[in-house]
Order: sequence, then C-alpha cells, then structure tokens
Amino acid sequence: MKMTRKITWMILLAAAMSFTQCKDAGDDVQIDDENELITSVTLKFTEEGTTNTTSFSYKDADGDGGNAPTQFDTVALKPNKTYTLAIELLDESKTPASNITEEVAEESDEHLFVYTPTPSTLLTYTYGDKDANNYGIGLTGKAVTTTAGTGKLKVQLRHQPGSKNGTPSPGSDDVNLEFNLKVQ
Amino acid sequence: MNRIVFSFFFVITSLIARAQTSDCACFVKGVVKDQHTGQPIVGATVLIVGQNSGVFTDENGRYELRNLCPGAYTLECRIIGYNPFREKLDLTAGHEENFNLLEQEVHLKDVEITAHRTDAPSSQPLSTISGSDLEKTRGQNLAESLKGFTGVTSLQTGSSISKPVIHGLHSNRILIMNNGVRQEGQQWGSEHAPEIDPFIATRLSVVKGAAGVRYGSDAIGGVILVEPEELPFDKSLSGELNAVGFTNGRQGVLSGTLQGGIKGFKGFGWRAQGTIKRGGNIRTPNYFLDNTGISEKNFSLAAGYRKKGLGIDVFYSRFDTKIGIFSGSHIGSVTDLLSVIENGEPFVKSGFSYNIGRPNQNVSHELIKAETHYHFQNGNRFQWTIARQLNDRNEFDLHRPRNDSIAALNHPELTFKLTTLTNDVIWDHKPIAGKLAGQLGISTLYQYNLMDGRPLIPNFNQFNIGFFWMERYVKNGWELEAGMRYDYRTLTSFRIVNREKVSQDFKFSNFSGTLGATRNFSEKFSARLNFGTAWRAPNVSELFSDGVHHGAAAFEKGDATLQPEKALNTIASIKYAGPKFTAELGGYYNIISDFIYLKPQSEPILTVRGAFPYFKYTQTDATFKGIDLSASWEIVKYTTISSKLSYLRVYDQRNNNYLVMIPSNRIDNQIKYELPEDAKWHKAYFSIGNLFVAQQKRVPPASDFMAPPKAYSLWNVQTGTTFNLSEKQQLEVGIAVQNLFNVAYRDYLNRFRYYADDMGRNVSLRLKWKFGA
Repeated sequence: MKMTRKITWMILLAAAMSFTQCKDAGDDVQIDDENELITSVTLKFTEEGTTNTTSFSYKDADGDGGNAPTQFDTVALKPNKTYTLAIELLDESKTPASNITEEVAEESDEHLFVYTPTPSTLLTYTYGDKDANNYGIGLTGKAVTTTAGTGKLKVQLRHQPGSKNGTPSPGSDDVNLEFNLKVQ
Repeated sequence: MNRIVFSFFFVITSLIARAQTSDCACFVKGVVKDQHTGQPIVGATVLIVGQNSGVFTDENGRYELRNLCPGAYTLECRIIGYNPFREKLDLTAGHEENFNLLEQEVHLKDVEITAHRTDAPSSQPLSTISGSDLEKTRGQNLAESLKGFTGVTSLQTGSSISKPVIHGLHSNRILIMNNGVRQEGQQWGSEHAPEIDPFIATRLSVVKGAAGVRYGSDAIGGVILVEPEELPFDKSLSGELNAVGFTNGRQGVLSGTLQGGIKGFKGFGWRAQGTIKRGGNIRTPNYFLDNTGISEKNFSLAAGYRKKGLGIDVFYSRFDTKIGIFSGSHIGSVTDLLSVIENGEPFVKSGFSYNIGRPNQNVSHELIKAETHYHFQNGNRFQWTIARQLNDRNEFDLHRPRNDSIAALNHPELTFKLTTLTNDVIWDHKPIAGKLAGQLGISTLYQYNLMDGRPLIPNFNQFNIGFFWMERYVKNGWELEAGMRYDYRTLTSFRIVNREKVSQDFKFSNFSGTLGATRNFSEKFSARLNFGTAWRAPNVSELFSDGVHHGAAAFEKGDATLQPEKALNTIASIKYAGPKFTAELGGYYNIISDFIYLKPQSEPILTVRGAFPYFKYTQTDATFKGIDLSASWEIVKYTTISSKLSYLRVYDQRNNNYLVMIPSNRIDNQIKYELPEDAKWHKAYFSIGNLFVAQQKRVPPASDFMAPPKAYSLWNVQTGTTFNLSEKQQLEVGIAVQNLFNVAYRDYLNRFRYYADDMGRNVSLRLKWKFGA
C-alpha cells in the first residue's frame, strides 16, 4: 500500500535523524586545573623571642562538598604571650598544590584578613603589614594573649575588589572559619 | 511539530428558505476547507452553539444543518488540532424578504478565517494572549508577558531575569514549546530564564495543569506555547517596526519584521525578524541596583512552501543576551547575608550606568528546525518535525581568578553547552465513523551537556523516546477526550570524583494519561473537567548538586537515588461568556508524589567560608490546590471592570508542613474606558489597574533567613490608540506607567528579596508601525 510505505519511510528517516550527530559528553570530561579553591588554611603562631612555631589548620582536601573536612584544629596558645601570626592558604586539590597566600599578597589591595576572638579579651591582633593604600592586609601580624580562657577565633578573608577601605564591611568572604581557641 | 500555525478557512453558505408548513425550516449548509490545500476537511464538527444539534462534515467536507427557526445563532466548527471557530449567523432581521426567494437565489456569505492549530487537550484550560493585549507587553521578557494570566506568576532574579510559574510550579516542571519545539536550556536554575524573544510570537498561550500526554514528560505544571503567525504565502511585502522605551533602566527595545511571498514562486512565504534591547541599571524607589544592565540581540528567519496537501517550513532563530547580575547579591557566607538583611538595603551603591560587569551571564540559544506535513485525500495527516538546539550559557563570577595569568584569559567560571536534537512524527488519523478523531505520535530527544569551570553539574548524555495516542469524541454538546503516553529515558552522567572519571547510568520510564470532558450547556455557558498525569525524571542538578549556592547562601546537595516525581492533576472550570459579562472560574487539585525539593537539614555544613545551612534534595508528597477566577463586566457603555484572582495552597503531606517558594495569592483589578471608534482613532483606551499581592504566610517555620516580604499593592495606568495612516499603514501608540506611586516592595519569589527592593516607577512608551497587507 502506498500510504503504508510512506509512513514507514517517514518513521525510518525520523528515527535515523534522531541518532545522527550524537556525541558522547563523557569524552569531554577532564580535570580542570584553572578552577581556584582554598582547601587548607593554616595559622602559624611563633612565640616572640623564640623559634617555636605551632600551626593550626583547617583542611578540606576536595573543597566544598564531597568529603567532609579532614582537619579543624583547636588553636592552643599560652597566656600573656606575644605571637607572630602568619597565615597560609593552599589549594591542595591541584598537583603541585597552589599557594593562594602568594596570590593574596599580589592583590593585597583587594584583600583583608580579619581575626576576631570571642570573648575579645582572649587575644588582641595587630596588623603587621600594609598594602599600597596603607591599609592592613593581615598576612602577618601580632597576636597578644592575656589571661587564660576558652572561646573562638574567627578568621576571615574579605575579598574587597575596588572597595577596600580598611574595615571588614565591604566585599564578601573568601574564608570564614571559626577555630576553637584555648588559652592556657 | 505542533507549533506549525495552520490556517484553514471555511466557506459558509447560508441558505434561508421557507418551507410550506413550518417556520422552522431554515437551514445552513456549506463546506469546510483547508486554506493551504483547498481540500475539504473531513470529520469536522459543525454545530449550533446552545443546541444539541451538530453534524460532521462528510468526505467532501460538506455539512448541512436543517430545521432551524429564524433567529440569531452562533455556528461553531471544531476539529482536533484546531482552535474552535465561531461565527454569528442572523437568520432574522434584514432577511425576511429572502423568505420569498427560491432556493436557488442564494444569500451567500463567504467568511475567511485564520484559525490556529493547537494540540492542547480541549478539556484543559487554555489561555491565550494575542493582538492588542500582547502588544501591551512588548519590550518585556517572556515570563513578564505571561503574568496577565490567572494562576501564572514569575520567579525572579532581580528585574531582568524571570521565569514563568504556573500554579506554583516552575523551571523543569513547565514545558515551553517554542515554535513547536520543546525549549531545552538549563531550566533547572532559578536564574536561568527562557531563551526566547517574545517578539517572535504573535500568540502566547498557557495550558494549565499536567499535560504530559501530548507534550511529553516534565509538563507537570503546564505548558507555554510560543507561536508565530502563519507565514504570508503568496502575499505582498509587509512588515512592522516596534520601538519601546522604558524610563527605568533607560531601556530601549527595537524590533522589526519583514515578510512576504515571492513573485513567480507560487506557494512560497518568508519572514525575517530581529530585536535589539539595551538597558542599564534598574532603579528601585530609593537607590540604583549596581550592574543590572541588559543587552540582547535576537533574530529569526523563516521560510515555507505550500502545495496541495504538502507543507514545508524551515525556521532558524538565535537569541543572544548579556545580563548583569546585581553585584550586591554575591554572598560569601551566611554572615554576609545576615548583615545585608539587617542593613535593609544593599551595601553596594551605584548610580546609573549601562556598563555590564561581573557578575554577569552571557547566554545564546540557537534553534534550527524543519517541519513537513502532508494531508492525504482521505483525511489522514502526517507531520514530521526535526530540530536542533544549541544552548550556550556562560556565567562570570563577581571575582576574577586571583592568579593573574588565569584572570587575563577572562574565562567564565561556569560554561554549559547543551545540544538537543528532537524529532517528532505525528499522525492525525482520519475520523472514524465521523465521530472519533485522533492523533498518534512518536517523539525522540537526544541531548548532551558539556560543562566547564567550577564543578556544578556533571556532563551528561540523555535519550528519550515517547509514544502517545489521543482520541476525541464529540456528540450532543459533549466532547470527550482520552489519551495515553509512554516515555522511556536514559541518562548517563560523567564527572570527576577525586581526579577520576566516574560515569553513572540511569533509566526512567513511565506512562501518562489524560481523560477529559467538555460540556456546552448553552451558547454562553460551558464546563470542563480534566484528569491528567505527568511525570518528571530528576534532573542532573537534583541528582548531583554539591556546593554552595552563592545567591541563596545555602549548601545544596543532590541525591543520585532520586526517583521520578509523578503528578495527578484534576482541573475543572466553568465559563460564562455573555455580551456584557464574562467569567471563568477554575479549580485545580494537583497531587505530586515523590515531589523533589530542597529539604533543610538539621546540621549545617562546614566549608572554608564557614558553616552554611545544608539542604538536600529529598522527595515528599505534595498537594497543590488552588482557584483561578477571572471576570469582566461592562458596567456602562465603553467602561469595563475586570478582575483576576489567583489563589494557591500547597502542602507537604508526608511531613505535615508547608513548602517553601510558593507564590503568594494575588488579585488584579482593572477599570478600562474605551473610546468609541472614530474614522482616524481606533481602539483608543485608558485604563487604571491595581495589583495586590498578599504576604506568603504559609511557609515552614524557621525555613528562611528572613520572613516572607510583606503584602504590597501596585498601581498602573495605561493608555493607547491606533491611527490609520493610510489604507495600508497603521501606527499604534501606547503609554504605560508601572508602579505609579513608586512603592518600595519585595516579592517572595524574587531571589533578590534579601538584598534589595524591587523595581520602582517605570514609564514606557510604545510605538508600532505596521505596513503592507
């Protein structure tokens, strides 16, 4: 029958069309090393007048999601001491690990580290570095402890492109971590 | 496939004759023909509205209605796949003298109608906007243009990105048929608006409720049909130019169309259309929103050929947009979000600028399609549509990469390239016994997604095949309809887990069905009832999301074990359409089992940017019930009051709780004064309207960072007219003011409600110059 032939022809052609140009999206999956992550944040406290450095880290090797953070140390300090505080940010999802601290240093006029202890009596922080506009950066600084006690130390990296004015308000958080703080 | 706008015309021959014995011996007879082919349409129903008399056209397309008393009637003609056509007949006044005439001395009446083919189930509510109502929405995006329908709202990301919401459902739960092709973009994202230029369409329609049988899976909430006009076969050159200016955002839109036939090539028609849009920062009543500009360039080309029963159409369209995302909406952590909420207005301030900086999204969408159909002499009709869509979405984050060499490349942080091939074959079978008309079809879809940048969703290949069958039976004022569909879908995902490629296979299949009835009680009064089912397979973002959503300060996690969600929708409506008063009341009850939603988890999740509220894609059983009411009443001559009410209640049955992100109830009132027609002025009108949107109080406790925004009330005024410049030239002018009193408000379904107010006063001027046939 003429019509049946026409129908068959159309269906066959239609089916053929639906499979042409098929591409496998799987071939295109590749590891992307351009993507920036911060997977580890390390606070390095060096007691003044000594070379005793203690490090406290937050590590989430695969970034947000996936596996849970593997390390989140309690910052343990001695009372009535002055420390030099340096911070290191790494992206360890890449090989070799990329050093985000250096990138922050290069764009220091867009970044501000903020260290906030609660209660505020536990620790006093003073910036030890300045950017081109004479605002603090916080890659290095001084932390002075007083009496013993426990609380929190909030560490923020504020990303403030074009709006940095020395205060934490502008911009948004690139890092926002609350370490447990123990001064004893 | 179904997007091919199809015209047909009726030749109605009214014969009025007096019989010797009875006065009720008038009759109407004629033939129904297809405009393209000139061939008779077999099996069309012709009936007198309000009477239980109806006939079918015979194999020559002829019909005859006998034994009519003198009087005024409305003749209606229906056939599956076409909108019903109505024509008023007057068998009384002015024709009395004809009663003495012989049958041969015919009072002949030729009526030419262009009717549009829609395949929507007739028992489901179909609302359409076209003509001057559509003109009033010109310059706005697709979702905004649809907001005039009851039960339709929008999900917004600021003022420039909006997605349609039907009966509380949106994104992947709504299907958009662009020119007959399923629009395939990255619908899952709330800031991923449909990539369609509304200027393409001369008709926008909304099918409310589950319409899975005809349109395929995903149509749980409804279907939006974007349809252009039929190509001007063998007509002379014509065209239109639209210019729209908005004060807010200092936005300008220019759109033009040229179309015609080709001399010497019988049966050809073509159309070229293009739109340019440019806007800058949006102003709320008290401040500008930084980086909210838009730039859009779209065009489309169409050509077609008709000969006898054969029709061929090709269509190409390209949509290209660059949209700035309000820079104050980039949130690094929950602390950031809470402080901007507390501040009550954004920290980022700016003046007016057309500049579009980071964050922004650049999206292009390309559609190429070919469609062919053939009418067989015996009433069968075949249609075959193939289409290819390329969706290229690039999203740029607020922050450039810190590494200078990478930053210099200025790559988008997110790129999605989605390619979709669709293929549909539809057979309208010839009417069986003159009473049963139906349609059978096969649809296939092949799709692959390539993703680059910050990991968000995996790459995937998807294949879908569906078979459907629908039948319609018409008798004695009743119209019964039934249909079913089977879909089978495979999905293979590819992603990197711990530097290894992982692929996963999914298979989904399901049946959908529809059952409906329409009853025409009288010329003015009708009722409809429809039961429809639809299903939706979980999409890749629901299966694999794993990260922080920066607009919502939420950590969202997918679940690869999700099952498809299934909807059973009951929708009923009654309609009264009189000369002075029209009302339609509709109610719906949509039960969605295994409804996929983001469930808040009790423990927050820790990231380097702090602890984020943790949401997991979870399934529950939800009910969506609501009422749509629209009424208009001509209180005195030329003055009409109209009201539209949308009421919706949604409940999570499994957890005995409300669900989040459900549009609030609203009522829209308008009073319109139309000036009497004048030789030079046409359709001159002035209207004042008010939209009241209630506060959404039905939200789960403690589900959000801030309570849903308060109720708001917005006033608008509109005026316009049409001038006939010459016989073949028309100029249409419209002026509108939205948010007349510059009210500061926020909407619950606007993602920016945390950060900033909605758009302030906006005055627009609209000009449309139309020339040619």
